[in-house]
Amino acid sequence: MGKFSSTIIGFKKYCSVGSKSLAMVLFWLFCSSISYTASAETTMHTNNWAVLVCTSRFWFNYRHMANTLSLYRTVKRLGIPDERIILMLADDMACNSRNKYPAQVFNNENHRLNLYGDNVEVDYRGYEVTVENFLRVLTGRHETAVPRSKRLLSDEGSHILLYMTGHGGDEFLKFQDSEELQSHDLADAVKQMKEKRRFKELLIMVDTCQAATLFSQLHSPGVLAIGSSMKGENSYSHHLDSDVGVSVVDRFTFYTLAFFEKLNMYDNASLSSLFTSYNPNLLMSTAYYRTDLYRRKLEEVPVTNFFGSVMETIHTDSAYRTTLSRKNSKKVKIKLPLQQSMEHDERRLLSSNVQDQTSDTKTEDKQCPFTQMLNTCHNKMEKIGNVDSLVNYGLVIMFPLLVISTWLSR
Amino acid sequence: MALFLRSNHLTAILLVLLLCQLLYASGSVLVKGEEEFSEELLLKPLPDRKVLAHFHFETRAPPSNSHGRHHHLFPKAIAQLVKKLRVKEMELSFTQGRWRYEQWGGYDTISSNNAKPPGVELWAVFDVPQSLVDASWRNLTHTLSGLFCASINFLESSTAYSDPEWTFQPSLGKLRYGTLPREAVCTENLTPWLKLLPCRDKAGLSALMDRPSIYRGFYHSQRLRLTSSESGLNGVDSGIILEQTLTVVLQPNSRTGKIYSGKTNIQPSWSISSIFGRKVSGKCVLSKTSNVYFHIEKGLISELENLQKKNTNSGADKFALEGFSSNLAFELSVTPDKMFEEVDNLDNKSASVLYEFSIEKYSDSQPFDLGLTWKIPVVWSTRQGPLHASRFLMGSGNQRGAIAISLESTELNEDLPNIDGGCELRVDIFQVVPWYIKVYFHTLRVFLDQKPRAVADVIEKIRVSPSKDKVSPGVMEMILKLPCGTKSAALTLEFDKGFLHIDEYPPDANQGYDIPSAVISFPNFDTRMHLSEDVNKSPMLSKFQEKSPVLSYTEILLVPLTTPDFSMPYNVITITCTVFALYFGSLLNVLRKRVGEEERLLKSRAGQKTGRISQLLSKLSAKLRGKQQEQPQLSAAASSFISFKLVFKILLVAGIAVAWQYFWE
Repeated sequence: MGKFSSTIIGFKKYCSVGSKSLAMVLFWLFCSSISYTASAETTMHTNNWAVLVCTSRFWFNYRHMANTLSLYRTVKRLGIPDERIILMLADDMACNSRNKYPAQVFNNENHRLNLYGDNVEVDYRGYEVTVENFLRVLTGRHETAVPRSKRLLSDEGSHILLYMTGHGGDEFLKFQDSEELQSHDLADAVKQMKEKRRFKELLIMVDTCQAATLFSQLHSPGVLAIGSSMKGENSYSHHLDSDVGVSVVDRFTFYTLAFFEKLNMYDNASLSSLFTSYNPNLLMSTAYYRTDLYRRKLEEVPVTNFFGSVMETIHTDSAYRTTLSRKNSKKVKIKLPLQQSMEHDERRLLSSNVQDQTSDTKTEDKQCPFTQMLNTCHNKMEKIGNVDSLVNYGLVIMFPLLVISTWLSR
Repeated sequence: MALFLRSNHLTAILLVLLLCQLLYASGSVLVKGEEEFSEELLLKPLPDRKVLAHFHFETRAPPSNSHGRHHHLFPKAIAQLVKKLRVKEMELSFTQGRWRYEQWGGYDTISSNNAKPPGVELWAVFDVPQSLVDASWRNLTHTLSGLFCASINFLESSTAYSDPEWTFQPSLGKLRYGTLPREAVCTENLTPWLKLLPCRDKAGLSALMDRPSIYRGFYHSQRLRLTSSESGLNGVDSGIILEQTLTVVLQPNSRTGKIYSGKTNIQPSWSISSIFGRKVSGKCVLSKTSNVYFHIEKGLISELENLQKKNTNSGADKFALEGFSSNLAFELSVTPDKMFEEVDNLDNKSASVLYEFSIEKYSDSQPFDLGLTWKIPVVWSTRQGPLHASRFLMGSGNQRGAIAISLESTELNEDLPNIDGGCELRVDIFQVVPWYIKVYFHTLRVFLDQKPRAVADVIEKIRVSPSKDKVSPGVMEMILKLPCGTKSAALTLEFDKGFLHIDEYPPDANQGYDIPSAVISFPNFDTRMHLSEDVNKSPMLSKFQEKSPVLSYTEILLVPLTTPDFSMPYNVITITCTVFALYFGSLLNVLRKRVGEEERLLKSRAGQKTGRISQLLSKLSAKLRGKQQEQPQLSAAASSFISFKLVFKILLVAGIAVAWQYFWE
């Protein structure tokens, strides 16, 4: 973990050299940031990666492994190849001596689908699933001997799906029942990834209790986050398989899969349709989405941009011309970075408004009577528009109190 | 003219092309003749109602200088690994379950070479200078962990591997050995292993490997052995040989056996389709040989012969090829193509028999499905190794304990007392102990037939490298010479349990820690099978005929270590903080106390005994009644009280002074 602080130390060294060099560094940073934004805009979506993490050990956490493997299967079915999937499983459930069905893992009690299949490729398993290795995978800081199959070799045109499941709490996710990944760690790793241009867009999907709190520190642009539950809420399992003897799937993942089972590689279902498919009554928790860092409209982004490997195809007359036109477009875009950023700001404003509205509708959906009462109370309080009048009233009430107290003290 | 020239050119080009093609064709023919792949399966009924299935795949690549980097059948990943890391020899095994030497045999090639300890075992010999061996080993572990989806990279740390000098082969310090006893073995390890085969699991015998039925078995061991002679030092330049074996012990469904409810000990009948859930539909087209063997071991044969004698009284009639399928005890559903008989030099009683079935003639429409139906109950026993080794822990508590290795003689030892002149039995023991089990090698004690013996009498040679904390494990290699009549031998070693750093505990520390299996070999006994016919064609049978010592692995030991309460740091912090707060708080209180101030405070307190609210209330009532407050009166009373005390004190002192004066006068 000591390696992670090296960049910061480097910067400190720069600063101590002198004001001149500081100015240089600042200038350089400024330039790089401009060029960086420009390049981020111009790069196309070129490939898809998936990092699927099950962080729980022990047999009774069977469902977490089933969750991860279901996502693995879905993602593979929708076209991401095995070499672009990093699968981390914290324990061995399939060949566990408690498993009545050796080499098989089910996510439904009907046992129609063996998730483990014949061709599963687990990259990190058992004791290897640690916070350190997880952060190493994300940030790409490995020892030289680590084979390619264990590395996330994404680039600036990659869309990455990061799926995590396990036991968590307020701003943390437990790994192996012994370590925690904190929301700061995650945000830091994502920031490093962004600066190293390891992704274009990142979708973080977390199925754990209080999943929403894990995203609170994220700041990097291009990140979209979905959590299974809000702060203070639990994520529940869906059902128990009495043959296997444990719960086999979590609610959030179950309904995510229900959405994806209807899709194939060529469907155009958008991310917003995935987000609206979650019913809080069925989930028994409120799915949370953080979209303020994401620039594109969710209605226009197909789910296969993250869960599949479907590239945008550009129809051109010949190969030669496309390269020319791309070069031209690059030049044009580099010329006008300011204008572009303005546009993006506007868009962001719009999208944040939209998000506010959706969050309002969401709060109404809650069914617990007590919380409903609280909410109405809260709303009423908020509806008292004139703050000045409230202050004046307060002052008027204060006056007789003052009079009484002075009279008493005399 | 120009036209003529052009045509001339054209013909020249054509000629060159033709030549190239010819050369290429001849080259490809040559290469095809050189790279070989063979697949074989051995099936064998075991005495405890189980079936042993042993798959053997062998791929050979010629020396690399003859064909460059191109491979037709040989897996490229392995070839690159051999070339880059200069691996001379390597063996990697993934095993789940324990081989039961008493029931499944301990004296054949399968039990000595293919029965591996649970988890992952890896040893490798490198063809590099001795200083680079460790670096090569590290790279190898990482590469293999990527190839086989396992955490073999944990063997990279120096606490996990050792360098045995003579147990596996004389290595000159270039051999490294490491085990991971708790590594899970599952589909994700088998699939990449199968991907090394030219037909994967799509055709041929490997198509039988239905994952659920394999992992349902009692024991499975998947092994990969690599031999390369790239350096060509030993004359025979054989290139790279990749030997992949999978040994499974399966329990056939005993539904058919239940019909004979009266005879409970009848063996369950089985077929390939009933134990694997699949049938063999033809061979892998790329394989040179594709055979299934059915092995009847010595014990069963002699039992069958006895039965036949009883029934027919026609003397010892050997099991002929034709007469076999109408056997008294069991029936095979397919007539074998060939029969091999073992020639035993020592006794001419009976020897094991191998039946060969060639897969070439079977196809999708007519799949191969060998079945075995038992007619009468037969009880037999397998051939045992000279000594049965087991290992256990002694002692209790969290501080110290002892490891004991016990060797019990089997009936075989009585049969074969003299092997090489002097009546001695040589036993080689190799034991690796992780550093947190601190073994005291001076406490080694030897017991023969429950009587203690001097160590020097029994141990001929011993090599010990003690463990270094967090650096290297403890390694013990020794050669024992036991007298012939020994019924039992035992070795004990005492150890202390070490402490780990809090970061070094695994997440499930409460489960305990594993001590890897000890390797026990008997170099005087070899597992060679002497077959009547020449079997050069079959790599598996030629492997069986190779000379190799009888070898067995002991159980893995589980040592519970003291595990800290992992919330301890938190507890310590809270407790120390409380103690500090109490100490410094009281100290500061004492230091800051000013007595005069205190007294004044006390006085004022005494003045206003009642609380604030009551005071306010009294004020309010006083105001309402329009009377003056009584506070000044109170203070006056207090002052009068103080003065009374003062007067009393003065009077007392004066009285004492008067009395004093009076007394002295």
